[in-house]
Amino acid sequence: MDCLHGIDEIRYSDWRDSLYTRALSRRIPLSGGIELTFRCNNNCVHCYCNLPASDRNEMVREMDTETIKKTIDSIVEEGCLWLFITGGEPLLRRDFNDIWVYAKKKGLFLTLFTNGTLIDEEIADLLHEWRPFSVEITLYGATEKTYESITRQPGSFRRCIKGIERLIERGIFLKLKTMAMKENFSEIGHMKEMAERWGVSFRFDPLINSRLNMDRSPLSQRLRPEDVVVLDMIDEERRDAWKDLCMRAEEIKGSELLYDCGAGANSFHIDPYGNLYICIMARKEGYNLRKGSFKDGWNNLIASLKEKRASPENKCRTCNLYHICGNCPGWSQSEIGVDEGPVDYLCEVARRRAEAFIDMDFQNKEVKG
Amino acid sequence: MIYHKDDSFVARRLDEELILIPVRNKISDMNYIYILNEVGARIWELIDGLRDAKDIVRIIQEEYEPVEDLEADLLEFIADLEKIGAIRPSA
Repeated sequence: MDCLHGIDEIRYSDWRDSLYTRALSRRIPLSGGIELTFRCNNNCVHCYCNLPASDRNEMVREMDTETIKKTIDSIVEEGCLWLFITGGEPLLRRDFNDIWVYAKKKGLFLTLFTNGTLIDEEIADLLHEWRPFSVEITLYGATEKTYESITRQPGSFRRCIKGIERLIERGIFLKLKTMAMKENFSEIGHMKEMAERWGVSFRFDPLINSRLNMDRSPLSQRLRPEDVVVLDMIDEERRDAWKDLCMRAEEIKGSELLYDCGAGANSFHIDPYGNLYICIMARKEGYNLRKGSFKDGWNNLIASLKEKRASPENKCRTCNLYHICGNCPGWSQSEIGVDEGPVDYLCEVARRRAEAFIDMDFQNKEVKG
Repeated sequence: MIYHKDDSFVARRLDEELILIPVRNKISDMNYIYILNEVGARIWELIDGLRDAKDIVRIIQEEYEPVEDLEADLLEFIADLEKIGAIRPSA
């Protein structure tokens, strides 16, 4: 029999990596995300999904409390351990507390994505008692003027700062992040300084998506590709990471799968209406969890998507910038409406990064893509 | 001594491991994770607020091949569970 040397206490990161490796061959859906609503109390200029907070039609369309709880039961049954809860603004749901505690009691490691403006004393106390794996708050600017030029919601900056402070006071593990765009380009550094003063991490993403219905209006906020590289350069950690990737890019051996990542192998995404997708971005095909089980959706539709091979005509796969640009079916679907094909903006950002980080002369070197 | 499980922990079986997950009133210190081996998982199952620790030893001895110092090992294991707050002595 096994010896009983107490409890095996293993470093979390070692255990996580080991579990992912072991779970990969068995296609266990270890991690996923769920959007509780697309409604939001902000009205951000760049958002891919936001709808008015009081939209009654949306409230009717969204999964009700019991459906969400059944969904949580089913993902836990299949082995989900890490779940991020997002929106829209998930704290708009009147049943948020109920859903949160239910998911915690099921033993899920929960991450909450929120704009922070609805974190009042009650929510902060709830999160203190039923601890998240982490809370990630999107900070849209370092100043009220910039922040609210993006959220288009007077008073939102002050409420967000207050929400952040409430979490910090309670020692809740918090991360700050932002979407870098034209409106806040000049304040990215200041936001990072704010995060440092609070003692929390900060990251930014400069790649803005179209709306889910392919409305391209958020794209007007996109940074120029050269400005994306400027931001990469001013952040030492980011600069090193991009340099490392660019130097290794041509040696990375990709797979032949269309979904060349963890999507559908061990991760999934669920929208507010109960549709199961292979990831948060690729929503062309979904499985309706109101009509079938998570197990069925995961083992059939998601498995079949995961098995799809990239087309031999997909010129992205032979491009020497493929591992720099980050293009994937999610990007192609949202930008050009098909599973595969170059997204011009990503191509240009990748070219700029390659030029900047490995000093490649793309005027003289043929880019296969 | 009789112990019961504390509801601030949830046990999850994942890929043939039983892991103990703190869910309530715990600092989200994710540097370490608690994993029970097969015998540990069986003991966890037997801790129900009704059985005495000695009854649990007897059941384990019946179900598994005997090993030296099993009782001492069991007590150490239970002490570890109590230390992390996963079980508490029943009144």
